[in-house]
Amino acid sequence: MGFLEWLQGTWFGVLVAESLWGYPIFETIHTIGMAMMIGSLGLINLRVLGYKPELPLLDTRQLLPLAWIGFTLNAISGTALFTSDAVYFWGKYTFRIKMILIILGGINAALLGGRVFREAAAGAPASPPVLTGTKWIAFLSLVFWFGAVIAGRLIAYTP
Amino acid sequence: MEFLVWLESTPIANAIRTIPWLYPMFETGHYIGLSLLVGGIMLIDLRVLGFARGLPLKSMIGLLPFVWVGFVINVFTGSMLFIYGATNFGTNAAFMLKMGFMVVAGLNALAFDLSVRRSGGSWVAADRPPTLVKGFATLSLVFWICVVTTGRWMAYL
Repeated sequence: MGFLEWLQGTWFGVLVAESLWGYPIFETIHTIGMAMMIGSLGLINLRVLGYKPELPLLDTRQLLPLAWIGFTLNAISGTALFTSDAVYFWGKYTFRIKMILIILGGINAALLGGRVFREAAAGAPASPPVLTGTKWIAFLSLVFWFGAVIAGRLIAYTP
Repeated sequence: MEFLVWLESTPIANAIRTIPWLYPMFETGHYIGLSLLVGGIMLIDLRVLGFARGLPLKSMIGLLPFVWVGFVINVFTGSMLFIYGATNFGTNAAFMLKMGFMVVAGLNALAFDLSVRRSGGSWVAADRPPTLVKGFATLSLVFWICVVTTGRWMAYL
């Protein structure tokens, strides 16, 4: 028996799949976590791209806790949903695309954080100038995260 | 009920039934709209409640256009999804609750907007939202989470 079969056969996998509330509860949490992540990361990336220049660029990092809460909620709820039907999800190409987009989004966020928040931290003005390369990272970040939303929604409709 | 049956037999409903990618497209659009709408509202409400104080309150309230874009996307995509399954959704308890929460959330947003206008924006500039406004912001978070929750639950009734 492979890992995926074992996973969906665990008491937890069975609970999420078969209980009346399990699946809808985690799905709802997944949707709310999504709004938290897209809202906070979306605003940071748009600010890097030049939207609302009156927002102090370095202070947009104060939105990161909201992004992390959303990410944690979605890692937990996503894992729970996956556990309920592991073989099914793993076989979907949209699921795999979504995972790749999340990994790319994560690498991207780390790069952006390094460029915008850490390099500029010591004695920099509140809104240091943004390099073109950094803007590309912010743009790709929006593409990756919205892509993850789209791929995730399409899991139910693709082979 | 006759109206719901009629809705389900309109050319739009038939198109959504026969063109395979149309339903997934509207549903995906509904999620993107949700991200803009609820994501934007969360940022505004949390800022009013004191989160991310480094970002000026006025600019954060200025995110409202995003919320409106998300709202318009979701009224449109939501209407399309509803037309497709009118007899199912129109009699769905979770859908009724969702519409109820949307009305309450809308009235709450109106109350929030009125308090900004009445005060002439003085508390906005001073970054000191009155307790009443903080109450509206808290209720807004609760109501929109209820809208998402009941919306998600429609699939299980």
